[in-house]
This record gives sequence, C-alpha cells and structure tokens, in this order.
Amino acid sequence: MNKVYFFVGTILLASFLQGCEKRESVTLLYEGNKIVVNTLIQPDSVIYTRITRSVPSNVLIDGNNTDISGANVQLLEDGVPLASPAMQTIKGTAYYVSGSKAVLGKRYEVRVAVPGMQAVTAMDTLPGVPLASAAAAQVNSNRIRFTLKDCPTANNYYRIRIYVSNPDGNDGSFWQFRLDPAFNNNLVDFFTQGASNSLIMSDERFNGKEVNFVLQTNNPIAATTQITLEVSALTYNTYQYLNTLTTQLRSGEAVISQPVRVFTNVANGYGIVGGINTKKLVFKAE
Amino acid sequence: MSLAGKLLAGILILLYVPLNVFGWDWQTRVTVIVRNQPIEAVCNILEKEYGIHFSYSRELVNLSRKVTLTAQHQRLKKLLEDLFAPDDIRFTRVGEQVVLVPAQRTTRTISGYIKDAVSGESLIGATVYAPALKQGTTTNQYGFFSLTTVKDTNSLFISYIGYGPHLQQVTAKGDLWLNISLQPTGSLKEVVVSARENKLQEQTQMSKVKLSTTELEAMPRFLGEVDVMRTLQLLPGVGGGMDGAGGLYVRGGGPDQNLVLLDGAPIFNFSHFFGVYSLMDANVVKSTDLYKGAFPARYGGRLSSVVDIATKEGNMKAIHGNASIGLIAAKFDIEGPIVKDKTSFLISARRSYPDLLLNAAIQSDNSLGPNGDFKAFFYDINAKVNHIFSRKDRVFLSFYKGEDNLGLQQTTNDTAAISGLHTYKGVTSRFKMSWGNTIAALRWNHIYGPRLFSNITLNYSSYTFATQYGHRYIMPVLGETTDLFGKYSSRMENSGGRVDFDYRPHPRHAIRFGAITTMHYFKPGNSSFENKGTPVQPLDTLNTSLRVVGGELSLYAEDDWQLNPNLYANLGIHASAFLVEGRFYSSVQPRLGLRYVLPRNWAVKAAYTHMNQYIHLLSSNGTTLPTDIWVPSTQRVAPMFSKQVALGVAKTSSNLKYEFSLEGYFKSMHNMIENAENNNITNTGATRWDENVIVGKGWSYGSELMLQKKKGSTTGWIGYTLSWSMRRFPGINYGEIFPFKYDRRHDIEVVLMQQLGEHWEFSASWHYNSGTPITVPVSSYVGTGNASPWDPGTGQPVIDRYDNWNNYRGADVHRLDVGITYSKQKKHWRKSWNLSIFNIYNRKNPVFYYMESDPVTKQRYLTRVTLLPILPSITYAVKF
Repeated sequence: MNKVYFFVGTILLASFLQGCEKRESVTLLYEGNKIVVNTLIQPDSVIYTRITRSVPSNVLIDGNNTDISGANVQLLEDGVPLASPAMQTIKGTAYYVSGSKAVLGKRYEVRVAVPGMQAVTAMDTLPGVPLASAAAAQVNSNRIRFTLKDCPTANNYYRIRIYVSNPDGNDGSFWQFRLDPAFNNNLVDFFTQGASNSLIMSDERFNGKEVNFVLQTNNPIAATTQITLEVSALTYNTYQYLNTLTTQLRSGEAVISQPVRVFTNVANGYGIVGGINTKKLVFKAE
Repeated sequence: MSLAGKLLAGILILLYVPLNVFGWDWQTRVTVIVRNQPIEAVCNILEKEYGIHFSYSRELVNLSRKVTLTAQHQRLKKLLEDLFAPDDIRFTRVGEQVVLVPAQRTTRTISGYIKDAVSGESLIGATVYAPALKQGTTTNQYGFFSLTTVKDTNSLFISYIGYGPHLQQVTAKGDLWLNISLQPTGSLKEVVVSARENKLQEQTQMSKVKLSTTELEAMPRFLGEVDVMRTLQLLPGVGGGMDGAGGLYVRGGGPDQNLVLLDGAPIFNFSHFFGVYSLMDANVVKSTDLYKGAFPARYGGRLSSVVDIATKEGNMKAIHGNASIGLIAAKFDIEGPIVKDKTSFLISARRSYPDLLLNAAIQSDNSLGPNGDFKAFFYDINAKVNHIFSRKDRVFLSFYKGEDNLGLQQTTNDTAAISGLHTYKGVTSRFKMSWGNTIAALRWNHIYGPRLFSNITLNYSSYTFATQYGHRYIMPVLGETTDLFGKYSSRMENSGGRVDFDYRPHPRHAIRFGAITTMHYFKPGNSSFENKGTPVQPLDTLNTSLRVVGGELSLYAEDDWQLNPNLYANLGIHASAFLVEGRFYSSVQPRLGLRYVLPRNWAVKAAYTHMNQYIHLLSSNGTTLPTDIWVPSTQRVAPMFSKQVALGVAKTSSNLKYEFSLEGYFKSMHNMIENAENNNITNTGATRWDENVIVGKGWSYGSELMLQKKKGSTTGWIGYTLSWSMRRFPGINYGEIFPFKYDRRHDIEVVLMQQLGEHWEFSASWHYNSGTPITVPVSSYVGTGNASPWDPGTGQPVIDRYDNWNNYRGADVHRLDVGITYSKQKKHWRKSWNLSIFNIYNRKNPVFYYMESDPVTKQRYLTRVTLLPILPSITYAVKF
C-alpha cells in the first residue's frame, strides 16, 4: 500500500511540475525604425555592405523583410569618399559592393542616409594578417592542430572557424568544434560539452607567445577531406560585436538573467562596420 | 492685673507659641493647587499657608521637577508621599521642620531562568514584571533574566506566549535567585506570529519579528514541509525569489545581505533544493528572530537583515520525539535527558526520498545501462547536547550537517546501437554535484552575579560546492577512446569565537557588550580538467591554489536606557576591522533607537543604523545558486556598507489580542557589485573576479503595515508593504538608475488560522505582489558574421536590441495556500494528518519569460512560463 502511495505521489508530483506557458497580450516597447549597417571589411577584398532597418521585437525577421530600398550609401577611405558602391543581389540578398578593394592601413567609414530615417555613420580600421600556420589533422581523428604566433605589442583578437569542402568542390557549412577541453578551462563549456562553429577570443592568456591550438571537432575527419581552417584577426570593434553577438545567440530567448547587449559602433543606428583579416589554411588530413 | 491674671496670661502666651509652631501634624489636611510648577513651589505654599518649613540641601535634593497638583483637604503625609516618591526623596519631621534627604539607594536584584515546566527548555523573551513597581524585563536568548530595582516588591508576574502566566510571590529581602517554570497551554496554536512577546509599546526594538516552532507548524505546507524561510516571506518587508524560491530579499536588499545565524554560527547557504526549502527541519527550531532594521549593536557583518535561529536544547525531563512523512521528505527527531535535569540531547534527521523511487524504476528497466545510477536528494542532521554544571554554568554543544546531492551515471554497452563506424559513441558518462553546510558551535553560559550574565561561543561553519564530470566515448572505426574528466569545487569556511555580556546594573539600564572574532577561509573556484586520451599538455590552467585568509574583529556595546518614564533609548556602537591579504578595513557603526510612549499607550519609535559587510557573493545571474562563491573585499571592491533610518508607531492592545505596527524606512547601500554587462563569471578564474564586476550603490525605501490578531480561536495577520528598490552602477544601463530585480511595489500577505473544535485546525495564507521588473528587447534587426557573402554559412543572425535594464513589469503574482490538520491524542502519543494545497486556485504565476517565435503568424510573443500550479500534499506525523 505504501509503495502504491509513493508511486502515485511521485507521478502526481512529476506531472504537476511540468511547466506551462502562456503568451502575454502586451505591447512591447519599440525604439522606432533605425538604419542597420553591417559590413566586415577584409583587406584586398571589395567591401560588401548590407543595409536593413530595425523592426519591433514582436516581428519575426524572416528572409529579407527588413531590407531598405533607396538608401544613399557612401564609403570613405581615410576620410576621402570612394566611388558610390553598386547594389548587387548575391545569393538572394542585396548588398552595396564597393568598386575598389580595401587596403590594409587605411581607415574606412560608411555613411548611410535613408529618407524619413535618421542618417547613420560608422568607421573602423583593418587588422594585420594573423600569423597562423602548420594546420594539420590526422585521418579519422577529430582533432585539428595549428600554430598561432601572437604579436606582443598590442591587444589582439581572433576568430577561428572550420569548414570542409564538399566532394563537388563547393564549400560546406561551418563545422561544430570546441577547444580541446583540456585546453579550454571554460567550466560551462566543459560540463555542457558545448561546441560551436566559431571560437572568438582575445590574446589575454597567450599574449606575445606562439601557441599550439588543438581543436576538437564534432565529426571525424575523413581521408580525402579538404579542410579549411579560417583564422581571422579582428579589430576591437569587430571582436566586441562578434563576441556579444555569439553570447546573445547562445543565451537563447529566455528572459531570466540580464540580457546581453550586442555591441554596435553605428552612430544613430545599429550594426557593425568592422575590420577583419582572415587567413585561410587549407589542408588535407594526413 | 492680679497675680493670677498675670500667671494665666503668661501660660497662655507660653502655650500660644508651641501651638503656633506645632500647628500641624501628619494628619493635617491641606489644600494645594498648582499647575506645572516645580516641587519647590509646593513646598513654599505649604510653608506660607500652613507654616510647614522644609529643610534640605540643594546639592542632594532636587526639587526642580515640575508637577501639576490638585489636592483638596488631603492629609499632609499622603500629599508628601505622592509628591516626593517619584524622585526617591525621603522626608522626616525634626522639630518644627520637615527635613528632606535623598532616599537610601538600596537596590536589590532578582535574577534567574524561566523554563518550560514540561520539557525544561529555557524560554527566550519571556516577560518578568513587577506590577507594583511598574518595572519589568525579558529573558535573554538563554532564558536568563535580571531585574534590579531600588524598591522592594512582593510579587512578580511572568508571562510567555503559549504558556499560562505565573504570579511569583517574593517575600525575602535582598537579592534573590529564581528558577521559574511555566506550564504550556493545552493548544499552542492560539498565537501564530508574534512581533513581541510583550507589548510592542514596551520594547524600544523595532523592525523585528519573532517566530516560534508552534507558529511555524500552523502554516500551510509546501509539498508537505513546514518551512522557516517560506514563513518569513509572509511578513511585511520580506520577499522571496520567483515562487518563493531563491532566498530572502529584505527591505530591497539582496540575498547575500542576510546574516543567518544557527545557534550563533553563521550560515552561508540557507536552503536546500535550489532555494526551495530552508536548510533545516522546522521541528528542531525553538525560535527565529528576524531583524529587518534597527539592528542591535551585537549583530554585524551583513547589510540588510539578521535571522537568528535558536534550536531546541533537548528535553530535560523525559524522552520525546516526532516522526513524519510528507510528499517530499521523511524526518524524525528525538530528545530527552541523559541525566535528568542536568544533561539533555536532541537528534534530528531528514531526507528527501523521491529519487529512491525513481532510481528503483530506472534500475528495473535498465534505462541507464548496467551500473546506471540516479540520485537527487537532500538531507540534514542536527545533534545537540546541553549540560547544566551548576546554577551558574551551562554548556551547549550543537552540530549541523546538511547536503544536497545530484548524481547520474550512465553506461552504454549495447554496440548494436552504434549506427555508424565513423561516429563517436558514448560509453559511460557520470555526473555528480553536491553542496552543503557543516556547522558546529560550543557555547558556555556563565553567571558572574545576579546582574552579569555571559555567553562564550566557539563556532565553525563551512559551505562546500563540488561537482565532477566524466565522459568516455569511442569511435569504432579507429578504436579511439576519449576519456574526459573534470572537477570543480569551492569552499568557504568561518571559524571564530564571541563573548557576550549581559549586564543589568540599574532598573533603567540594560547593557550588553562583547567581542566577536572570525577567521574567514576562502577557497573559491578550484578546477581541474583532464583528457586522458591525449598526451598533449594543457595550454594553461586556472589558478587552482587560490586560498585567501581574512581576519575580522568586532567590538560592541549597547544600552537600553530609560531616560524618563515615557522616553527610552537604545544606544549602541559596533566597531569592526577586517584584515585580508595585507589590506586593512575598519568601520565604526552607530546603532541608535528611540521610543516615546504617547498617551493611550501608543509608542513612537525611531532607529538609525549603519551596517558593514566585508565579504561579497559572486552570482552568475543575480539569484542565489549553489555555484555562488563568497570572496573577500579587494583593492578594487571595497566593503559594502549601508545606512538605514526607520520611523514607526506600534501598539499592542491592553488585552494582548491585537497588535498594530506601521513603519517607514529608507536604506542606502554602497559598494554593491553587479556582473559587468556581457560577462559570465564562471568563464574566468576566481582570482580576477573583481575585474569583471562593477561597483555601485542602491537605495530602498517604503513602509510596512502589520495588523495582527493574536488570541482566540481565530488568529492571523494582514501585512502590507509599499516599497521601492533601485540600483545604480557605472557602465550598466548607461549609468542610469534602474529598478532592482525584485523591486515589488505592493506586497500583501493575509494569514488566517482557525481552530475548529478539539481536533481540527484550518489555515490559509494569501500572497500578492505586484510584478517584478524584467528586461525585454526594444527592437530586432539582422546581423552579420562574414566579410563576404561568398563565404560559407550565409545565414544572417537576428539580434535583439536591449536598452534600459528592467524596462518591463512582469505579471502580478498571487496565490492562496490552505491547509487543514486533524490531530488526535492517543494514550502515549499524538497523531496528525495534514492536507495542504499550494496555489489552490491554480494561478499561473511567472517564473521566467521568453520570446517565442511563431513562424506561421510571423510574430514573436513574450511568453510567461509557470512551474508551480496547484500542488496538494499530505503529511502524516506522530508525536510522543
């Protein structure tokens, strides 16, 4: 009898503790329409700038429903206006593409004006190329190693990503990976076995040193796989943006703790105009 | 004139003089009417109108007190007695003069212990009152009282809630020692909660509430458990986290700002089960004092509240005990004499048990594989020994250990389940997490004399959190095995001693003084990670050797002082110093309280207090979790301090049935810490924690109303709190002021107990608070992660834009809990059944919110998540 009572109690308890949800019929605050500028500027590459607008947070952003037409986009290099960027649709999305390539050592500024909206502006410099080398992986393992030599004279910021070329030669999507837990020292990542498709970090723990990184991928590496290890040097603006963006995306949509504000350097608007310098190490597993 | 005529005239003259001089005696009736005149004026009237001369020294006798007197044909002696008695002036007739001298200050002291007649437990806060003298006192935390008076008394009236009053005849002269036992009343359920044992207007202390075990037991239960913390949350000025979990928030302070003392030893984590239950079985709690403000000088070290819990001492007369089983936990306690009236013991234990049932089910269907195991439980044990060496010496030894445990071990040996040879497959995984407190205290009561009582305490308290994780998996095509293991732990220890003196030199003074010394041992955030499958050495490691030792010393003194018949003051000072890693901090904290008794026995009270806190709690998201770690103040983060001022009126009705109190307060808090925006504390080593927090300040203010019915078959209270709590941190929220996470504008508590005949008791509590602030996004937009659209991964992340912190108020929270208890006395024991229903009308109160996306309507919704709907529970208990 006691056993029956206990089991009934446990089942009741478990069923009661199932959370239930209710949509609030409230009007959320809205800051008003603002121009959003997004461009990460890579040296020796044309500049792709995407212009959109903000929407109330109860609107689901899906596809290109926040695109702005008729924007006046101006690019300046060290304060000197460049030729107006041309609008192109690439993979179904509209970009303003510059007529010339970005040059390392120059400072770039983007100014955008849209009728009926407050004009915005943002600028950044470009970082030097990261000193990454000796990328290698063993066939059928799940570890990729490479060496990164950090410059001791400045605060440096990096992003690391991995993708694998498909058999048809096209690039596949970014792989999920993490720092080998023995190297990571991140308590939460360790216990959650968390992997992500990018690792964003500062050189705080290896300033000025040459470091061997070991990355652990979620998938094993096959013999014929062509791997691209993308090591990007970031400016402080870009680092702040990517770091806060990743943190917000990881925290999900639950409003429990204080939310993460994504960094922006766009005055009067949102988004990022940031420098990035990506080095791609392409190799096959040994 | 003839000779005879001359003689007669001479006799008459001779007679005339003495008749004139001795024209009054003590029975002479006099008429004096003065209004607000000094006593000296009354003497002058008597001298002028009746020839009564007064002789006195102005240095010894003070006749400046102003009086209003209407005496019509009153006997002289009675008039002089009434006139001089309040100033202790003695008068006597010498010849034709009335000589005034100060009364001989012969005082006497009556002291002793007040105890429960049945169990021998000492009673804390019992009232000892001499009606003829209109003087009284209360017993201290150990049941000791000392009443010094300049006059003789012939009786004392002793009373305590839940006990029959006792009239003690006092015949002997001189100092007297009394051990008085009070008989408990049949049902101890008459009073539910008592702000004071004696009348509110007779206590200078304000902002204090006292709970006793019998009061706790009457409350509706949450999943079958009576709980100290949840009952405290039903008082004005006290709140809990969402659904009552997650600690105490007192007058706008944080959960780290509460000093919780168990028999004098501090507790670091006051809860089980992630803040749902208090750390100890309510059956062994004798009394709980909560101070929300007006902190007496003997307490220090936290900003916002003091919760002083005294456990039972153990029955000195006979073996008694309780055993009960509820929906969540089973428990028992037993107490009794080792040597009757000399030595007693108390032991209690409690364990939650649902995991035992779940584990049995898991084992039977092998869902976690061979050797699979699941654990999720809490337990606590208490032990206490109490020995009376002599009338003057008594020793208590108490011990507490409580722990929460989570464990999961899973094995997979079924190779048939492996779908691809190129895929990693888990072999075993094990996870273990535990946290808990260990507390020990040794106390020695010593009475130096009838007026001086002392207590010396040695205490130890530690809080430990530990977790470990192991994961072993293979890739069949390679036969490669990965074997990861990691562990993390943090520890906080306190050991110290304190000596407290209780000195009653004079009826108008009750003095306490003492010293407290504490050694803090901090060992936060120790971790190690190991990958047994790789020979590569780790890149770097967290600092695993961080150990910090800090020393804290406090001195205090306070005097409860009667300045005049209507004005009282509690003057105190608490001075403390803290030495850690070569840094030295100190503070002097005034503690002032005033009480003025108005006509019709209303008391106006005021208090001003400073509090200092040298340790900080690092928390990942602003609520208390087992992972939180305590750290000492650093160069960058100075000790916290607060200033609080409170003002109120209070009264207990003359029949002790009703109590009313209304208080207003303002509190400022400085050097509080908050996580820097976008920082996760667990991502960085504990050594650099102060680089990742921002130091700021907070304010809280409001008013609290409490109306309580204390006697009769219907008892209960209504509490209302109107409050504001704000924060400001440079670099957070643009440096602007924002509302505290638990800023609740209105809070209403209604508690009702109804005795229904001999066997039944009904109780209900209704709680309401206005919504707490949350931060919701103010717009959304697309982001980017690539320099070129030709890069892989063309998806555009959606970003929520957040502006001001806590810019939205969540839904109001309200809930009705009810309970009914049936109890029946058997020959040797008493049984009871309790049925409680939590949230009886199934209000869907929010625990948290999230933004829900609906791809069909292309809308996002703010969605409320509720965890605790209607929850019935049943508890069976026996008491013997």
